Amino acid sequence: MRRISIKKLLTGFILSLMLLGGFWGCIKENLIYNTTTDTNITAYLEKYPERFSELREILDLSSTATYLNAYGAYTLFAPTNDAIDGYLQEKGKSSVNDLSADECKNLIRFHLLSDTIRSKEFTDGKLPSLTMYGQYLVTGARNVDGVTKIVINRQANVIESDIKVGNGLIHVIDNVLRPAQYSVAQLVENDARYSILTQALKETGFYDTLNILPADNPDARRKFLTLLAETDSVLKVAGFNTYAALKAKYCNTGNPVSILDSLHKFVAYHIIFDAKYLADIATSQSQTTLAPLEVITSTITGTTILLNDITFLGVHEPGATLDRTKSDNSATNGVLNSVKQHFTLKIRKPVRVDFDVADQPEIRKLTAIFRKSTTTVGWTKAAGNPFVDIDWQDGAMLFGPTYSWSTTSTITRYFLYNDMLMMPTGGPNRVLWWEFRTPLIVRGKYKVWIGYRNQKQSGSSTNVNQISVDGVVLPRLLEFTVVRPTGTDAELEAQGWKQYSENSDQNVGARLLGIIDIKTTDRHIVRITNISGTQNNNNLDLIQFIPINDDQVYPRFKPDGTLIPKP
Amino acid sequence: MIRKIKYSILIVLAVMLGTSCEKWLDLKPEDGIIRQNFWKTKEDVKSSVIGCYSSLFATTQTLFLWGEIRGDMITSTLRSSAEQTEIMNGNILSSNSITNWRVIYKTINYCNTVIDFAPDVLKTDQTFKEEDLNGYLAEVRTLRALMYFNLLRSFGEVPLKLTATASDADLVQLEKSSQQDVYDQIVADLAFAEQYAPLTYGVREQDKGRITRYAVYALQADVYLWMENYTDCITACDKVINSNQFGLIAGRIPNEDNTDSIPNPQWFNTVFYVGNSNESIFEFQYDNQILNPFYNLVISSNRQFTGSTFVMDEMYTIDLLDDTKKDIRGDLASIRSSDMVIWKYAGANNTGSMRSQTTSYAHWFVYRYPDILLMKAEALAWTSQGHAALNIVKEIRDRANALAATERSPDPSSASEISDYIMEERAREFAFEGKRWYDILRNAKRNDYANLQYMIDIITKIAPADRQQSMINKYMDVRSHYLPINLYELQTDKNLVQNPFYQ
Repeated sequence: MRRISIKKLLTGFILSLMLLGGFWGCIKENLIYNTTTDTNITAYLEKYPERFSELREILDLSSTATYLNAYGAYTLFAPTNDAIDGYLQEKGKSSVNDLSADECKNLIRFHLLSDTIRSKEFTDGKLPSLTMYGQYLVTGARNVDGVTKIVINRQANVIESDIKVGNGLIHVIDNVLRPAQYSVAQLVENDARYSILTQALKETGFYDTLNILPADNPDARRKFLTLLAETDSVLKVAGFNTYAALKAKYCNTGNPVSILDSLHKFVAYHIIFDAKYLADIATSQSQTTLAPLEVITSTITGTTILLNDITFLGVHEPGATLDRTKSDNSATNGVLNSVKQHFTLKIRKPVRVDFDVADQPEIRKLTAIFRKSTTTVGWTKAAGNPFVDIDWQDGAMLFGPTYSWSTTSTITRYFLYNDMLMMPTGGPNRVLWWEFRTPLIVRGKYKVWIGYRNQKQSGSSTNVNQISVDGVVLPRLLEFTVVRPTGTDAELEAQGWKQYSENSDQNVGARLLGIIDIKTTDRHIVRITNISGTQNNNNLDLIQFIPINDDQVYPRFKPDGTLIPKP
Repeated sequence: MIRKIKYSILIVLAVMLGTSCEKWLDLKPEDGIIRQNFWKTKEDVKSSVIGCYSSLFATTQTLFLWGEIRGDMITSTLRSSAEQTEIMNGNILSSNSITNWRVIYKTINYCNTVIDFAPDVLKTDQTFKEEDLNGYLAEVRTLRALMYFNLLRSFGEVPLKLTATASDADLVQLEKSSQQDVYDQIVADLAFAEQYAPLTYGVREQDKGRITRYAVYALQADVYLWMENYTDCITACDKVINSNQFGLIAGRIPNEDNTDSIPNPQWFNTVFYVGNSNESIFEFQYDNQILNPFYNLVISSNRQFTGSTFVMDEMYTIDLLDDTKKDIRGDLASIRSSDMVIWKYAGANNTGSMRSQTTSYAHWFVYRYPDILLMKAEALAWTSQGHAALNIVKEIRDRANALAATERSPDPSSASEISDYIMEERAREFAFEGKRWYDILRNAKRNDYANLQYMIDIITKIAPADRQQSMINKYMDVRSHYLPINLYELQTDKNLVQNPFYQ
């Protein structure tokens, strides 16, 4: 009897223990429903009410709170409470609740980009993507009394940057950003310094071109435009005291609206595509204008950005300077920049260009080598490409260009200045393409000739290449292994060959590759693309652009550079 | 019976447990030496001091980057790391590992260890004399001063750690000390070293690779110049100059029939390839056992840096008409002009052969005699002795066959004009030796940043076109001239406060 009760007791005890254990055990179970514990933008703002309570409220009022708490990749410029208070005060409102839903929406849109942009990507110009409002934000750094701060849109300082949240990045700013109110046309009109230009814009019809909001613009290319404006004082220095004087000088058809009119072209030449802040102009070498097929070249020396500062046929033509203090004005549909000097289109006639590919500034600096020593110099991509105007395929290729000079070598003795670049092409260890930037070529039609000295690396070598200029493929192929045929100049020319150097050695010849229509007066890219065959000994001397109506054969060259005129 | 057996087993176990553990309970490592057993003889002290020198090898890459990357003489390549290009673009963040000062403090800690423990050896080794001790202390205190000087110039304010961190108990959370405190410590260390550092070790390799009294003077001159104490700088320089122990390796030698002079064909080899030349004062002596970091940085085909084009175009310049006229320090000495390879570390000779991975042991030049001369010239310029300063510059230029295109004629009464000229000469003379940025900063910050424009002009030249204005404005804020404290240090030492520009 006693024994049984003890056994029962024991089983009861164990059972109750197990039961209890079961109950307690279940409480510990902790399921995770989130894929990450990172806070998103909205949650982050909620976490710091002392800083962002008002911005958080605006999110609610603009019904974007849930949107910014969902997944995505955004950059938010978050104004602090102080910043928003200041903004409200300026607007005469007492709290964020007095803002309309649309106002709130626009405010958020202008502070938000659907891209993650870190502070290290901030430049002097615009951010790489548009705000959701549809205008660009510009960044920069401003120094006040020796203290430098990063500035957004010239309106707010960055207080804290690169806060990583689950759906993007937050940069905290000390002021509310305000979008531009005026179009480029209105900016110019509102500024009394541009009265002559304003009138010219109106009379030529470009005022309207510059007055359309991007959203209303049917022409996608012209949604954003940049005006390079000349002030009245600049025009006065150039001799135009009034609009009438400008019109008298340029307007040749009497109808400034006509695209054939020179005043129309003059104004069109001052408008370039896209929103281009000075930093954008400084980093690209040529700007496409609204004047058909006319470009403006740009260069930066020191802190000065120069337009159309070029050397043409050995003569330096000083360019016009962009005025930093008066430039970088954001408009709803672009940018207004100001130039310090009058500039205009230049009418140039097509002129022959003999592009000696071995005459590169980087090689000229090798004074002990350049046109002096038979020591060859080679470059590879892996070790770095020192050339500004030559490029070739990336990667761990074995061969880049090699410069060589000799007055006696059978390869270079008849070459212009006895020097050349050897450009190996063809797989697998040689590059498949080369690119050269030419000197300035005036708009027009040209025949393109390439002068080389044929050579086969081995008896069976071939090397066939396609040549293109600015992406336009020339009809004839270039074979570095082929000997020039014989014949009279006329016979040769008819076959697309010529003797371009003094000596009649058949190994040296120029091949006509076709006719190219050069559309803009600019420096252009000649690309050599390998099609078949692989070898090193592609001995390139020069590339000629000869206007189609000029003599194609003469003048020839002596190796010392002297021209041989037609007998 | 069973109980008896149980007891006896227990007793046996107890005995075994009590006796067999001896080795395990001994806390001393069997395969190493502990401090209590180490600091016993003078040989121990010597090997520790040599250890301090060995630790310098790890600092070279940091010193090179700190001294050059913000300057205008090196440029990035396709292989440069993102962190490297960010500094070059003026985006310096505390997360950037280049701002890490760990290797520098490591050397400082080795020096502190010697300073703390070497005096104990006097008690245990009777042959170890007070003067020997002071000699060693002079060496390590100079090294410590050199490291703090680099920190001072790079960060401005840094924590001063002057005792050894020998165990976990020594870990402390230090605050930053002021620039003046760091400076005072450096001066104090050098004042001690000046008394006790040996003039010579009797062997040339050691005279160039260990701290001699001349190296102490050189560092003193540099420190005084940095803090704009020109009289003391001149005094320190004169101590080296008047010792007559150093000279400039001739840039030209007579030709075979003694009718004319030719560029010295051995110049590069003597001064840079072999090193330890007569003009050297202190070098980090790499050799085939210990390779320098420059193979990856500047030599390999995947090199991270090359010289910038300004180096040939504007600093040494090229005589386009007469290629026999060359600055001996330029093409194939500091730089190879065909591809801008940094020849000082990459060159195997002055005709174009390169060092390979296994021969990348060019020395790191801390002080050479021309540095003494040019530091003196700078100090002279700022103490109204312009003519004397210009004579020194001429001496440096003449030995190097500097080209006429780089000759300036500053007004001898204008200290700042002469000073700018000296900066140009220093760039040519000490190209890529980790001095350029400090030279720019010293010249700009002098007299409460009277010449800030000097630095801004250089920044204008090197800034990428689309960041130029931002970069100029950043450098206009003088607080940006010092690096941020690395994020890791801030996280581990809660008493550190980030430098103001980066807060």
